[in-house]
Formats: sequence, C-alpha cells, structure tokens
Amino acid sequence: MSLAEVLPEVESLSRLDKIRLIQVLAQQLERDPGDLIEPGRSYPLPSPDRAFTAAAALLQALEEDKGQP
Amino acid sequence: MSTPAQQFPYVRRDPSLGPASLAPMLPLTLIARQSVTTSGLVDSGAAVNVLPYTLGLQLGFDWDQQTHSVELSGNLAAAQSRVVVLSAAVGSFSPVRLAFAWAETDDVSVILGQVNFFLEFDICFFGSRGLFELRLKL
Repeated sequence: MSLAEVLPEVESLSRLDKIRLIQVLAQQLERDPGDLIEPGRSYPLPSPDRAFTAAAALLQALEEDKGQP
Repeated sequence: MSTPAQQFPYVRRDPSLGPASLAPMLPLTLIARQSVTTSGLVDSGAAVNVLPYTLGLQLGFDWDQQTHSVELSGNLAAAQSRVVVLSAAVGSFSPVRLAFAWAETDDVSVILGQVNFFLEFDICFFGSRGLFELRLKL
C-alpha cells in the first residue's frame, strides 16, 4: 500500500485518532532498528580496535607509574 | 566482598540521529595537574584509552614532555599519540590510575578501552534498557 492510498483514509480520521496515529508511528520508528541507520549517512567509528602495540606501551607506562612515589 | 555496582544511562550523542546515537557515555573526572570533568565512551572494541588533544592540555600535560609515542589504528591512525598516566574518579568509586594514548587531535571523544579501563572495572551493558553497570575489579 502506498502513501497516496493511505492519505485519504488518514484525512477522514478524527483529530484525536490522528494524534494517536502519530504516537503509534513514532513508537514504531523508535523500535524499528532498520530505520536507525540511514543509508548514505556517515557514522564515526573511532575505536582503535587493533592498537595492541599501543596497549602494550600503556601497560608498560602503568608499571612504571606504580614504581613512582 | 565485591564493591556494589553503579548504573549509568546511555546518552544520545547526536540529537539529529536520535536513538541511533545512543552510547554508553560515562561521566568522570580526570585528574592530573588539573582536574577536568567530562564523559568518556565505554568502548569494549577499543584496545586502549584515548584522550583528545585539548583535554590533555586542560589537564596540564605538555605534549613535548611526553616521550613515549604510540600508534593508533582506525580513523585515529593518522594522529600522533603519546602515553600519559592520570587518575580518574568515577561515580562514588575510589579513583583509579588510567593510562591514555593522548592523541594529537580533537576529532575524537574520550575513549575508555580495554587497556586499561576494562582492566580496572567489570562492566555490563544493558542496551535494550539503555543503561550500563560498572563494578570495580575484584
């Protein structure tokens, strides 16, 4: 069913039912994971996920830090 | 006896993205020469903690005095990074010592990663409930 087909029926709803419809649609959109990620949009991924050499350097720095007063 | 867990809510990081931007952002105070209250992304996929450049300056670190350089990966690979160690106060837990890769960029949040945030805290994520839970290591 297309939007053009639905719209005339929506127009015939009472004001209260239109508000209820908005609420129902908003709740559905909030729940629908398919709509959470928008095609063509950039999503940052900052995780340094394989920085194991850096991780080793940080562990070494923590060991040195333990030895300080 | 283990310390009691503390819960924190997921936070919308970008209002225009709504629930797509929900993330476990932990409020914390970083303590070096200066103290700064901020929030950090609790990121189990990050190998290391990451500190943005300006925040490092606000904490009183001098870039030229930090001699240990490290290389990061992902979209931080292009930024130079140096190792700093500082204290962090989280909730009502006792402060912990955290080592950070201090990145020469502000195009990143504070990241709390495996080394060594996840070595100091046990963390449970309850994404469907929009909260996460921290407990100090045993």
